[in-house]
Amino acid sequence: MRAQFVFQEIWIGLRRNLTMTIALVVVVAISLSLLGTGLLFIKQVDSTRTYWQGKVEVSIYLCTSESVSVQCKQNGASTAAQRQQIQQTLSSNSAVASVTYESQAQAYQRFKQEFSNSPSFVSTVQQGDIPDSFQVKLKNPQADYGSVAASVTSKPGVDSVIDDRSILDKFYKLLDGARNAVVIIALVLLIAATLLVANTIRLSAFNRRRETGIMRLVGASNFYIQLPFLLEGVIAGLIGWAIAAGLLIAVKALWLDNLQQYFTFNVGLSAGDLIEVVVLAMCVGVVLCGATSFLTLRRYLRI
Amino acid sequence: MINFDNVSKIYPSQSRPALENVSIGVEKGEFVFLVGPSGSGKSTFLRLVLKEERPTDGRIRVAGRDLARLSNWRVPMLRRRIGCVFQDFRLLPNKNVYQNVAFALEVIGKPRRFIRKVVPEVIDLVGLEGKHDRMPDELSGGEQQRVAMARAFVNRPMILLADEPTGNIDPATSIGIMKVLDRINRTGTTVVMATHDAAIVDSMRKRVIELEYGKVVRDQSRGVYGQAY
Repeated sequence: MRAQFVFQEIWIGLRRNLTMTIALVVVVAISLSLLGTGLLFIKQVDSTRTYWQGKVEVSIYLCTSESVSVQCKQNGASTAAQRQQIQQTLSSNSAVASVTYESQAQAYQRFKQEFSNSPSFVSTVQQGDIPDSFQVKLKNPQADYGSVAASVTSKPGVDSVIDDRSILDKFYKLLDGARNAVVIIALVLLIAATLLVANTIRLSAFNRRRETGIMRLVGASNFYIQLPFLLEGVIAGLIGWAIAAGLLIAVKALWLDNLQQYFTFNVGLSAGDLIEVVVLAMCVGVVLCGATSFLTLRRYLRI
Repeated sequence: MINFDNVSKIYPSQSRPALENVSIGVEKGEFVFLVGPSGSGKSTFLRLVLKEERPTDGRIRVAGRDLARLSNWRVPMLRRRIGCVFQDFRLLPNKNVYQNVAFALEVIGKPRRFIRKVVPEVIDLVGLEGKHDRMPDELSGGEQQRVAMARAFVNRPMILLADEPTGNIDPATSIGIMKVLDRINRTGTTVVMATHDAAIVDSMRKRVIELEYGKVVRDQSRGVYGQAY
């Protein structure tokens, strides 16, 4: 195998139909960056969703000495006996899947971790500012939230009952819609890219029919004849991918990381997530271009 | 070297066979003319030797191999032992003489040192010394055919197939081409040449196989183009 010869042939091929090559690179770049954006989006949504999903569906905050609500002012901080009674009420309710008690100390630790990216905010809060609570998971949150909430709202020692899900659902619908749109556009563009690869390779095979004819005649192996065409597709794909990778890094740095400022929680994507998406985009690009080139060659390059 | 045993070839779209029960044996080192009118099956014969086509019936052996049992990926190996020359030269217009000849070795992965040594020798053999840098369009038809012969011979094939190599060349120049073919034949290479050129066949006095409508009608050692009986 003579690498120099193969690369020379690839260079000739890419240069001869330069316009097609450029079109191919651009389409691959755009489709891969959209695909990557979609994947980053999915990861972002997932990371916020996992954050919430591991959390409670219903939070029952208990009265502390600092609580400002009327019922807490009347009765003062919740006592151990009150807590026990609330716990009993909840665990005996058949609609409840699990109940966990989070002490003030635990709540403070969790708070510090979640808001770790805004230390000035953390420093204004002390242990004891955050009330202790019961975190309740329901077997069927949609149906049973009302009855469970009612059963504990008026209990002594209870400050407030909050359902987190109702707020989040609308937000997720929006994100899911945007994500689906991006992925669908990416897939349509990938189809366009596939057709362009096929066309480019076909043109290339036609342009070089004289050379391939002679190669066949003097007994060049099929691999040797096909390799320059295959690599031509793959290299165009790789250039497109490199552009897409640049765009993806920009998307993460300029857009997703900015999104972070609307969340006070630490749900940003790690560099590892970005690398994963970029590598996946490369695989899609290379496999798509390589496989399409190969299939096209089988049709248009007689061996 | 080439053995056809009752070979028939019928192209799918045609009812009349291109070759019909052809049995021909060509020995190593022979020089054979294949003559006959257009459509008599000369080109089909050459294509069958290269395994560009498969016979409808019969057995073909080339260089000791049964072509029917030669798997597709081994076909390039077969073609490396066969050189080909055509009426239309088939040179690469954007490569010079040296590059055109070297191309045949580059694409079968020969090392560059080997190519540098062998290509000039072959260019000398076909009588083009000093013309390494000429482009095909700067050469006469005869010279272009010499380049094509150099390319066909540079890998020292066991068989050289020539399909009307003098078809596009004037008679005076053709003699030079035939001398080169003869020189190649003298190195021990089997030469099979399909031709219409009666003068050349008559002057060479080599074996002549005549085809007509796909059948062998004459096989004569030291023959001439026309009917000898």
